[in-house]
Amino acid sequence: MDEEILQDFLVEASELVDQLNEQLVDLEQSPEDADLLNAIFRGFHTIKGGAGFLGVTSLVEVCHRAENVFDKIRNGEVAYDATVADAILRAFDVISDFIEQLNAGERELPENDSGLLDELDAIFKGQVAEQPVEEAAPQEPGEVHLELPEGVDPDGEITDDEFEALLNQRDHLGNDSPAGNVSQEMHLELPEGADPDGDITDDEFEALLNQRDQLIDIDDQPAGQKTAELHLPDGTDPDGDITDDEFEALLNQRDQLVSEVEEAKVAVTPKPQPKPVAPKPTSAPKAEPKPEPKAASTASKAPAAKAAGKAAESTVRVDTRRLDEIMNLVGELVLVRNRLLTLRGSEASHEQISNAVANLDHVTTDLQTSVMKTRMQPVKKVFGRFPRVVRDLARKLGKQIELELHGEETDLDKNLVEALADPLVHLVRNSVDHGVEMPDVREAAGKPSTGQIILAAEQEGDHILLSITDDGKGMDPDMLRQKAVEKGMMDEVSANQLDDKSAFELILSAGFSTAEQISDISGRGVGMDVVKNMITKLNGSIDINSVLGKGTQIRIRVPLTLAILPTLMVAFQEDNYAIPLTSVQEIFDFNSENTNVIDGQQMVRLRHKSVPLFFLSDWLSPGVDKSDRSHDKVVIVLIGNQRVGLVVDQVNGQEEVVIKPLGVMLKKLEGYAGATITGNGQIALILDLPGVMQRFQM
Amino acid sequence: MEQDINLNSAESYINPNAEEEDNYSGPSTRCVMFTLENETYGIQVKKIREVLRVGNIRSVPGSNYQVLGIINVRGVIVTVVDMRTMFNLPQKEITDVSRIIIVELDDEQTVGMLVDMVQEVKDIPESRFEPLSSAKDNASRHIQGIAHFQDRVIILVDADTMLEQHI
Repeated sequence: MDEEILQDFLVEASELVDQLNEQLVDLEQSPEDADLLNAIFRGFHTIKGGAGFLGVTSLVEVCHRAENVFDKIRNGEVAYDATVADAILRAFDVISDFIEQLNAGERELPENDSGLLDELDAIFKGQVAEQPVEEAAPQEPGEVHLELPEGVDPDGEITDDEFEALLNQRDHLGNDSPAGNVSQEMHLELPEGADPDGDITDDEFEALLNQRDQLIDIDDQPAGQKTAELHLPDGTDPDGDITDDEFEALLNQRDQLVSEVEEAKVAVTPKPQPKPVAPKPTSAPKAEPKPEPKAASTASKAPAAKAAGKAAESTVRVDTRRLDEIMNLVGELVLVRNRLLTLRGSEASHEQISNAVANLDHVTTDLQTSVMKTRMQPVKKVFGRFPRVVRDLARKLGKQIELELHGEETDLDKNLVEALADPLVHLVRNSVDHGVEMPDVREAAGKPSTGQIILAAEQEGDHILLSITDDGKGMDPDMLRQKAVEKGMMDEVSANQLDDKSAFELILSAGFSTAEQISDISGRGVGMDVVKNMITKLNGSIDINSVLGKGTQIRIRVPLTLAILPTLMVAFQEDNYAIPLTSVQEIFDFNSENTNVIDGQQMVRLRHKSVPLFFLSDWLSPGVDKSDRSHDKVVIVLIGNQRVGLVVDQVNGQEEVVIKPLGVMLKKLEGYAGATITGNGQIALILDLPGVMQRFQM
Repeated sequence: MEQDINLNSAESYINPNAEEEDNYSGPSTRCVMFTLENETYGIQVKKIREVLRVGNIRSVPGSNYQVLGIINVRGVIVTVVDMRTMFNLPQKEITDVSRIIIVELDDEQTVGMLVDMVQEVKDIPESRFEPLSSAKDNASRHIQGIAHFQDRVIILVDADTMLEQHI
């Protein structure tokens, strides 16, 4: 396999996979959209082409079948119903998985699961697929293999016992519903007058099936068929005894009918648990709880695999117009350089030099902006995976949720886009899992049974604002306060003093989950604080707002780019330090008369409020005589929600700095966010304010 | 003259392999030798990025006592570690011959090591390496071995293991 061609293929294929993800979910909402169908067909076709050229047979096999199915769909010969959707989505997951593996460096792909391929073939040929019922392996749908009990003559006619045994097996296999409502064994009774020892006739067979249906239907909603009309395939002797093949054919018919009934039921009233024999949205696991639903795990695997795959090669697509802009600006830069060189040689007037420098300033700023823009990608890249995540999760939980995406075109630095993917997935899954209520609960509360989640992105100056809003059940600040006390995080008095906003923010603390039931999806209490950390690492902030019964809104604010930071330069003797400007609120002269000590903590009076005061020189230049603080300055900063005053020796003004990482040995050091090289070549340490606070609280 | 000849013959009597050493052509490791308090140490050349004179080292308040601070190497911030402290030697003032050896660790991170003096680059035959047998657990890990070569004892240092405990 030619590596270069493979890498090009992977870049294109990854994009197609992202697009297909969104398109496939859109298709469920509008299954007749011709443009969409064509686009999806082309997507599979293109991936197949590339895969074929590179000799990746497994990938070709799946794509080929998917493409075939879509050809039929767009010609109107096959309808994109729930069964087909599930099969296609599974095929898509397989394709997506293969691409990830190739991205991560794998060169040998596993063979395809023949069950899936056969299913797709069946759809292509116009037969509805067999039930993707689980056997031992959770992820692979398979045909239903029923085994005749031992000692049975497989070519002879089927006896009642064998028939019952087969039915039981079938029930066993079909019995994957998480609630396990349906009993494993069913006692069916032959209608009266039937000869229990003889061979079973079709009528008896039908009667038994009817009984079986009735038993299953007991838990069901009243709507829907109770009996399945089955027809023997042509050519069989309707009065003779049933053979195994006919039996299986009848079973297939039955499945088909049952699934149609199921769809009708699902459309009418959403059910909490899928029926044991109904086709499942995701290959639902057996009784053993699986760590995560497959689709969601693919979604979350994607960032992980992408991170691994990144090691191979990381690329960015840049619009050629941007490149042209940059070329122009570089040209300007060269001209200015030449001008300065000339001026250096000759006797230049101050004005001429001044002009040239002003020009240089201008061009450099423009160039900087342009180059940064090349790293920008639309937020759509992150948002793309959410429709699928929400769909799969909602279906698994039996909720009805509509996801709206706003501001997808907003541009973000590539690093940011990748770094935000995981936190956003977590927050959205929280909304689905804990926010939006079950449809019946919603109806009882007078809300529409379909919940709504809005994921939005917008630019706010030099920040990006991302928000996740749901109209679910909201959070109860009192309950949160109580939980805080229960978990020993604070005493009752302090908890009662928390305003609602602060109460909501409690959920960002480690181990704080209030979910009564820890599901596989969320509720272990390890999620929100990790999200908070990730956001803080990006120099961003989280804001939580909620109204009990109405919904919750979580807002994330991150600066547009990671690398450049506007700072306030301060100094202690000759040592320079930089404080992120976004946290700085005001600066004034230090005056010991405005300070006092409250409860052991130094405070400074600021317009009728007292703000805690910390002397940075204690930490940053210990051992230096600080008896004369008359020239010191106080910098008021905002750390989290708290205002704090930092006393520094000197304030040197604002400077935009490039953040340089400190290196592996110093990374763990609290209080520093990195280092930078100042205008005069000195190294300045960039302070990380939350870390600074940690130090002072020791 | 006579003395020289005597010394030569004496040497070959004392150290029968002396000549062999200079003409050794078997597998060997190229090492950079440096001095710390009169002991000679060696580090594999392939781990070394560059050797710099000592300029301004920016101190980082709150860091370990082994970390002297950070320096700017063509736009990259590199942490400088005092090798004396790594070997539990008392700290000394920086002199004209002090140098910072920039090493590249396994994960492509770079660290600077402050040493008293950098000597030369030598190819040390692998047959000369002996693993260190010592009761002290701590020190033995980052010392790859001892080489007896050309009348000197060279302590071979494994930068990765030495620094990983501090990472």
